[in-house]
Amino acid sequence: METVFKTKLDPVTFEVLKNGFVNLVDQMSEQILRTCYSFVIYNRDFSSALCDANGNTIMQGTQDIAVHVGTLHLTAKAVIEDFGDDIHPGDVFLVNDPYRGGTHFNDVRVIRPVFHEDKLIAFMQSNGHWADMGGSVPGSFDVSSRDHYGEGVRIPPVRVWSKGEYLHDVANLLISNMRVPEERLGDLRSQAEATKVGETELIRLVEKYGVETVLTAFDEVQDYVERLTRAKIKELPKGTWETVDYIDMDPELGDGLIPIKIKMTIEEDEIFYDLDGTHDAISCFLNSSFGASLSGLYAGTKTFFPDIPLNSGFYRVVRAHLPENSVVNASWPVAVTGFCSGPYEKIMNACFELWSYVMPERALACSFNLEYLLIGGWDKRDRYDNFFMWYDWMAGGHGGRSDRDGANAMSPVFGAGLSVQPCEGQERLTPVVTSYHQIITDSGGPGEFRGGCGVEKGGTLTNIEDTVMSVCCDRSRSVTWGIYGGLPSNPHGNWLNPGTDKEQFLGAFFSNIKVKEGDSFSRPSAGGGGLGDPLKRRTEAVLEDVIDGYVSVERAKKDYGVIIKEIDTELDLYEVLEDETASEREYIRNNRKKWLREDIDTVHELYKNGEIDELDLIRKYGVLVDFANGKVLYKSTGQFREMLEKRSAAYWD
Amino acid sequence: MGNYRVAVDVGGTFTDVFVFDEKSKEILVAKTASTPANPEKGVINGIEAANISGEDISVFSHGTTAGTNALIERKLPKTALIATKGFRDVTEIRRGTKLDLWDAYKDVAEPYIKRRDRFEINERIDYSGNILVEVDEQEVIELAKKLKKRNVESIAISFMNAYVNGDNERKAKEILQRELPDVYISTSSEVLPEIFEHERTSTTIINSVLGPKVSKYIDVLQNQIKEKGYDGEILVLHSGGGVMTSENVQKYAGRLASSGIAAGAIASKHIAELCGFKNAIGLDMGGTSTDISLVYDGELKTTKEWYIEYGYPIGFPSIEIMTIGAGGGSIARIDEGGSLRNGPESAGSEPGPACYDLGGTDPTNTDANLILGRLNESLLDGKMTLNKEASKKAIQPICEKYGYSEHEAADAILKVANANMSDALRLISVRKGYDPRDFALVAFGGAGALHSAYLAKELSIPKVIVPAHPGVAAALGCLLVDFRHDLTKTYVANTDDVDIDTIEQEFSKMEIEAIKLLEKEGIGKESMNLIRHLEMRYIGQWRSLEITVGRDLTSLEAALESFHKEHERAYSFSNPDQGVEVYGFRVEAVGVVPKPELPKEKPVGSLNEALKEYRDVYFEEVGGFINTPIYDRPAVPVGSHLNGPAIVEQLDSTVVIPPEFTAEVDEYKNIIISLKSVVE
Repeated sequence: METVFKTKLDPVTFEVLKNGFVNLVDQMSEQILRTCYSFVIYNRDFSSALCDANGNTIMQGTQDIAVHVGTLHLTAKAVIEDFGDDIHPGDVFLVNDPYRGGTHFNDVRVIRPVFHEDKLIAFMQSNGHWADMGGSVPGSFDVSSRDHYGEGVRIPPVRVWSKGEYLHDVANLLISNMRVPEERLGDLRSQAEATKVGETELIRLVEKYGVETVLTAFDEVQDYVERLTRAKIKELPKGTWETVDYIDMDPELGDGLIPIKIKMTIEEDEIFYDLDGTHDAISCFLNSSFGASLSGLYAGTKTFFPDIPLNSGFYRVVRAHLPENSVVNASWPVAVTGFCSGPYEKIMNACFELWSYVMPERALACSFNLEYLLIGGWDKRDRYDNFFMWYDWMAGGHGGRSDRDGANAMSPVFGAGLSVQPCEGQERLTPVVTSYHQIITDSGGPGEFRGGCGVEKGGTLTNIEDTVMSVCCDRSRSVTWGIYGGLPSNPHGNWLNPGTDKEQFLGAFFSNIKVKEGDSFSRPSAGGGGLGDPLKRRTEAVLEDVIDGYVSVERAKKDYGVIIKEIDTELDLYEVLEDETASEREYIRNNRKKWLREDIDTVHELYKNGEIDELDLIRKYGVLVDFANGKVLYKSTGQFREMLEKRSAAYWD
Repeated sequence: MGNYRVAVDVGGTFTDVFVFDEKSKEILVAKTASTPANPEKGVINGIEAANISGEDISVFSHGTTAGTNALIERKLPKTALIATKGFRDVTEIRRGTKLDLWDAYKDVAEPYIKRRDRFEINERIDYSGNILVEVDEQEVIELAKKLKKRNVESIAISFMNAYVNGDNERKAKEILQRELPDVYISTSSEVLPEIFEHERTSTTIINSVLGPKVSKYIDVLQNQIKEKGYDGEILVLHSGGGVMTSENVQKYAGRLASSGIAAGAIASKHIAELCGFKNAIGLDMGGTSTDISLVYDGELKTTKEWYIEYGYPIGFPSIEIMTIGAGGGSIARIDEGGSLRNGPESAGSEPGPACYDLGGTDPTNTDANLILGRLNESLLDGKMTLNKEASKKAIQPICEKYGYSEHEAADAILKVANANMSDALRLISVRKGYDPRDFALVAFGGAGALHSAYLAKELSIPKVIVPAHPGVAAALGCLLVDFRHDLTKTYVANTDDVDIDTIEQEFSKMEIEAIKLLEKEGIGKESMNLIRHLEMRYIGQWRSLEITVGRDLTSLEAALESFHKEHERAYSFSNPDQGVEVYGFRVEAVGVVPKPELPKEKPVGSLNEALKEYRDVYFEEVGGFINTPIYDRPAVPVGSHLNGPAIVEQLDSTVVIPPEFTAEVDEYKNIIISLKSVVE
């Protein structure tokens, strides 16, 4: 039976105000986009929110980045907690403290209280990723950090405008610790103005509808989202589902994947996530604070309820237990800047898997990992002599779906609106020349529905001095996985001077590697994991993939058991040999479980002898090797194989 | 040579014809069904429906959705992309983003050219225009052989950094042209010499996939109209809000990608001007969506960030149109959280609103208007009958949920629809620093005038203008435009140490090119108007603002002053102490053509003679149903005053003048609606 729900507002006023709030936060976002200085913000790493007088989020922007979801109320509350009654009209606050609900230092939140006749009625919040927060590494991403000191400036709730007066000294203290400080001031100004835009719009609504009606709407919009979410959950099957995803390693512990365990329970009309059994915090910056981990759970859940607006009403329905001092709930002063590539991605993708069992029609295999590379140093090109930062993130493949392949070359799930930067813009601004930016053949995880293809980007450094390179990624070992019988894609990880005698594998997270003029690098991003048994993929689909070069003739045979004969490649003429395909598929079907259990050293020998390649290691044998030295990772392989048994082999006939 | 100026606008459903007799100053309109398979047939049918012969035509202008439809339906010629080695996937990687961030099952459209048809050659130019790798003639010849074998009909060439130096593209094009003389080729440095490889490549690809098709369509149409006796040029409307002739269509086919949509915006600008408004918001509300445009100080706002399908930008400057999913057919529903929603889902024309009796069971805005008595049960001169009972049945779930009567529910539906449209109007006006109180709202399309008075009230827009022929306003727009080309170029320089002579030279070069385009179209020097724009931004910022500058530049002082002012207006802050950089140029080249002078009428008859009947119409603001006069628009004399509540009906549109409003009919037969409280 439908719950009878009494609203105080008539449906029209309610709908008008609800849409008015959406419109208001989107107006703030538009202002940011047009006036910001950090290209990270410009490429959409930002969010905007309207919070009520208690700090609860009433509405978030429709184009906001996923990774800030469900953290904005926490920082608004942090301001209230620290300043209490000492909050006045014309004040503006700054917060970036990840231990107070922030995500990482670069995400700087500008918060403006809104008053009506001396009464605090709301907070406007604008959160944007500043390109640099100081610290030892350009861009403030120091992989090796174990605690936050030296990573960058930590900003607890701080007042930057007091009763309308701009506090130069305070702002100056902050930005003096950052690289390119004048641009940071530009961002501050841009965000503060955006919150002003929100304030003006809210006051307009208050004048039109009356303060009581607007305040009632604040509550009812949250109640509405709660009710909507509960109604949808009530219709779902009840039960408990669990899974585990892994971070590649703790650099200090070496071989061994770092488990993040998630158990999801759907009971009545609520969702509960229990992350008990998750590994302790690790000795690099791939940890996450509680706010960011909650955000991952909210965002992972929200992906299966795309129509529900985001506000605190949604957060009331999703509860979680995050074990203290674990990699998903690291406490002060453990370094958490890399949470986005570490726990966040794992939590989101694990949620995708769990929900794929609850809503198979919306199933989604694992997607590639957020990857970004920072090169910072001195630009010594003709007429240039300045500090430069080449700060770049990749598109990659998304997971296979219940009725179609995963998307090729998309922005990461961490922020599907985060746009990939144009190489031409980068070449103008920095002494880095891109040598290719292309889709990688065979990078999509095999499946009945293939994972989307990953991308590789290569570059050469021209006139540079005193330059270092850092990368923040993961999944060079915990390779992007398939579900329902689908297979993994390809490992992340960066190469320096590939194809030369100076070739070096740098891995998927490292910092401050010295580079010099003439050095080149290559970065593959992973494809998405496959969904369903690859031997059940339609042969015509494999043929089409071969024609477009998404899959090679060689791997069509190895991954899909489809034998394709080239007739005239210039005319895209190929033929599927049906009989050979049938027997190849039979052969694979009869042996593949055995291959996954093959003696690790035997497999390693085959690899060393060049009889099998990296993709064979991962997809066929489930064996992980450290590409830096060619050595087998025994413990990680064990964990990886266990994962493959559950997600892939268990679904093979 | 005849004396009819004829405009034909081919839309998805209807082909609209607007004929203006230059001698008698009379207007004739006609509407026929579009013929998507052979759009030229619809055009000819339209001309026949208007009952005019080719010899009588003096000017023929044409707006078409042929380009839009070809893109959406992927009915495109076999086209190859040739890219720099390592970059053939730029158009597939795009910027990686998607429109619907949260729905993993809503995909971005497929690239217009599949990967199998994207080729690479060895070549490279650096950021400052130095050629690092020359084009190898032999390699291009080999590729040409392959393309020939594959029966490629069109080619897009887009190389890295070609916006600084187009030499490599030019060389590759020359070789290909020689080897494949019948193939259509466009290069990115000709089409859009602007920085950012994805945006430039995407525009070039769209130009190439539309090129052969659109040129051929215009040729066929030209021949058919010639057979009818018209031997002049066809003037084709492009997205930038101007026309061009077939020869330039050949070069800039991509500009036709949204030819039709621009027409309505142009009409709204012109109509507002006739009524003395330099600022106007155009509201074109049809069955499934509403297109909103904005004119400020006599200029339609343009944008370079538009697309037909998300992810594939078209970099040509285009009239900025905001489209939202609110139309007569938008469906009202209660969501799982118990909230009353309206749109963007639409009943479309099939099954259509419940009252169409074609199987639709969801209540729509049209149903709500019918229940409230605002719409007549008999439409299109009696050719169509609406079933009010079906509307009432469809609305029941909403009545039950909230305990509403039928008319209360219908009123609630319309209020939500109006609020959604108001939000969109706010985004395009207030949000961009424009005060709606300085604007007129021009309402057209089938449904625009049903809602416009309420929207104006919500946004404090003082006046609503409903043109004489709201249903064919887009066709009128096609008659009201000049020849127009926009040439753009990226050029980055700090204003502190900029070389003004170089800027002057660049502008002059672009102007020579622009003059050539206009000369080809038969425009004399005296009718040419060249306007220069600079793109500028604060150093460190990512978006730029466009500033109009004078010719023969000797300093940037005035431009800088305008820039700070415009930044202040648009974003409510500026900083004159901060460094500013130039980011690009645009030359707007206009070939002015005489516009038809719309007829002014003298009052004929009396308002009383135009009164058809009285009907009970619901207006919540006066407490419910009120006996309301219904007028027949063609019979309403100019100079009439209409006191709300009143309804004015015509063939394809209904004008609602609510109780709080009053209206006048001006000498152009526009109905101008204002709030009584403002007028008094």
